[in-house]
Amino acid sequence: MADGGHVDIVKRKGQRPTEAFSKAKLHQSIVAATLSARTPEGQADNIAHSVTNYVLEWLETRPEVTSHDIRLVATRHLRAHHPDAAYLYEQHKNTL
Amino acid sequence: MDIASSLAIVTLAALIHASFQLSVSVLTLLSGHAIGAKRSQTRVLRLTFGYVTGVGVMTLLILSFLSLIFLHAFGTEAPQIIWAIACGLLIGVGLAVWFFYYRREKGTSLWIPRAFARHLSDRSKAAKSSTEAFSLGLTSVVSELLFTAAPMIISALVLIQLPGHWQLVGIAIYTIISLLTLFSVWVLISSGHRLSSIQKWREDNKRFLQFAAGGALAVLGFFVYVCKIIADVTGAI
Repeated sequence: MADGGHVDIVKRKGQRPTEAFSKAKLHQSIVAATLSARTPEGQADNIAHSVTNYVLEWLETRPEVTSHDIRLVATRHLRAHHPDAAYLYEQHKNTL
Repeated sequence: MDIASSLAIVTLAALIHASFQLSVSVLTLLSGHAIGAKRSQTRVLRLTFGYVTGVGVMTLLILSFLSLIFLHAFGTEAPQIIWAIACGLLIGVGLAVWFFYYRREKGTSLWIPRAFARHLSDRSKAAKSSTEAFSLGLTSVVSELLFTAAPMIISALVLIQLPGHWQLVGIAIYTIISLLTLFSVWVLISSGHRLSSIQKWREDNKRFLQFAAGGALAVLGFFVYVCKIIADVTGAI
């Protein structure tokens, strides 16, 4: 499961259709959060790679997860690399 | 009510308006998305300035519109029942702000319909030009009307009593002061401050801001009630 392509993501507690896990989408969202914390592009990309790989490992034994689970796991790992970016990533849905 | 007291009421109402957080939340999201999308600092500045301008223009338009409606409906002096209703509204919204302004969860989520919050959040992500950011600013003021209508109504009632040029001064004072918080956050973002520290400050102080806004609304309602209704009634006796 190199790209997590067989995992279904349950969105918004089932209120939106399930969709296949996208490694690129997760990577992009981590890059965006890390850049928002004013991190240089190269470093943001490295951190995003590391976090994405960690999430992929976590997904290996799980055929179906919620988008909220992914956010929690990604935040937990991102916090170790960049606490500010992790805070922004975690807060994104709770800002408004 | 003399000009100084009238402008003082308008100033306090505008300060209360400035303490509401929806526009600041949208500005934080907008700048976060713009920085995250690797836009240049100039583009980020242009976008966020477009947003702040939109908020200012809509605030100005709504206050002017309310004043015009009241002026047509009541002339330069609104009936006491209208003042009483406006004071009741201020106190009622003040109590509602104390209990309901923020959701009981982590972060700075507000008690606005979730569909509305999602729409604003999605639009802040989709805004790519200053024009879109400007219209997002217009929309966010409308979304916040549930809370800001009360201070705007009382300001409009106060403004219609003033001579023409003082009405313009009052509208300008209200608009500028109500933008102070948003403008300060814009300056912080523009000068390279981390969004996380801004958001963290907002989260850490949200209960104080909620208490201050609710308390100030109630105080303003009580003050206007005493100044306008009690004073007029005792004066009449």
